[in-house]
Amino acid sequence: MKLTLKVWRQKNVQDKGRFENYEVSDVSKDMSFLELFDVLNERLINEGKEPIAFDHDCREGICGACSMYINGRAHGPWEQTTTCQLHMRAYNDGDTIVVEPWRAAAFPVIKDLTVDRSAFDRIIQAGGYISVNTGNAVDANAIPIEKHDADMAFAAAACIGCGACVAACKNSSAMLFTSAKVSQLALLPQGHPERTSRAEDMVMQMDKEGFGSCTNTGACEAECPKGISISNIARMNREFFSAGFTS
Amino acid sequence: MKWSQFFSTSIGKKLLVGATGFFLCTFLIVHLAGNFSLMKDDGGQAFNLYADFMGHNLLIQALAWGLKAVIVIHAFLAIQLTIRNQKARPVKYAVKPGNKTSSWFSRQMAIMGSILLIFIVIHLANFWWKMHYGGIPTSVYDGKKVGDLYTVVWKAFGKVELVALYVVGMIALAFHLVHGFKSSMQTFGFNHPKYNGMINFIGLWIFGILIPALFALIPVYIYFNKI
Repeated sequence: MKLTLKVWRQKNVQDKGRFENYEVSDVSKDMSFLELFDVLNERLINEGKEPIAFDHDCREGICGACSMYINGRAHGPWEQTTTCQLHMRAYNDGDTIVVEPWRAAAFPVIKDLTVDRSAFDRIIQAGGYISVNTGNAVDANAIPIEKHDADMAFAAAACIGCGACVAACKNSSAMLFTSAKVSQLALLPQGHPERTSRAEDMVMQMDKEGFGSCTNTGACEAECPKGISISNIARMNREFFSAGFTS
Repeated sequence: MKWSQFFSTSIGKKLLVGATGFFLCTFLIVHLAGNFSLMKDDGGQAFNLYADFMGHNLLIQALAWGLKAVIVIHAFLAIQLTIRNQKARPVKYAVKPGNKTSSWFSRQMAIMGSILLIFIVIHLANFWWKMHYGGIPTSVYDGKKVGDLYTVVWKAFGKVELVALYVVGMIALAFHLVHGFKSSMQTFGFNHPKYNGMINFIGLWIFGILIPALFALIPVYIYFNKI
């Protein structure tokens, strides 16, 4: 396949950035989207040009490092797929693919397609933890947990913190990410000691980072590579109300 | 957490937008029920007596001013949140997903809301202002002299441009509520597989279609049956 890539290039945070076009030929249908960028980058290096900076780590769809906003879609056109798991068979010969970084005030572009997602870390630091007594590890099944709650907590815990929800949301809202983290801990007894302060502190940190507010469009849920449900956002709202009304 | 802190958060503000929006939805039902008396073939007696009661009952008057405050709070906070949401993405995407990831209605809330706000101001100037401060003709029923708002309304909707304006206003209302009703439920935290179907049904069919259609029907009916 022969493809045209229109890629966002930006030297650093201060740089205004612009799109640059690259023709890539001999693209295999079996390549992943990131491998396409590896091939292009090798060529750029051989030509003595600056390679395109992009985030990646596990390339197994579980780490959340790869980002890329591809033809108007976070992580590309496939449902519940990270960019590393998007394969070139999704495209046809002659296609033009526009690749942009995640766009959000809270995710400043570091270089090209790489953005600073440390705002998520600070939301976690604000309350996404539990108190654990030191000493021997407690037996895993010592606390009985209802199967339904365990399943819901597990589904929320599937969040890999990739930021696709922020990228997909027209308001750059981080509600799906924050709600997944709040829900995961609110559903389990281990999360109950800090339940009230967690909901308050994580929501306030989320606002402080400059993310937008949620207008319930559902774009986050549609683009989440882990299929996190917006029912978690409703749960976080309930957690936040019960905390705010009583604390 | 202090109340001031609570209502300065995005979720606190959203709760107020949702709650005021829900209140306005319930008000629509009452307003529509009253409007039906416009179509009663009694020369306006039922409608004028109803309008007189609404205009002079102290409790209703207090609620009416509360209603105006609710509209202002709803619009003010929604504008504040929209500005914040715009600032959250200073550099826009070159390619947008369109309707692939979200419904068109869900993305037009601010625009439809703005059209509705303009509509409400015109609507109040047309009838409410005239009724209270404009001096309208009077009718006498069983020795009781009341303002003849019925004639004012029937005359007004004899003009095609005003009928068109009201129909456009109701289309904006429909588009606003298709997403607005169910969105308020999600903001309140009501999301449960057992009830989501019912919430979506009420949001789309009752508030998104039936109520705006019935509201729009009245000026159209008057236009085609004008005195």
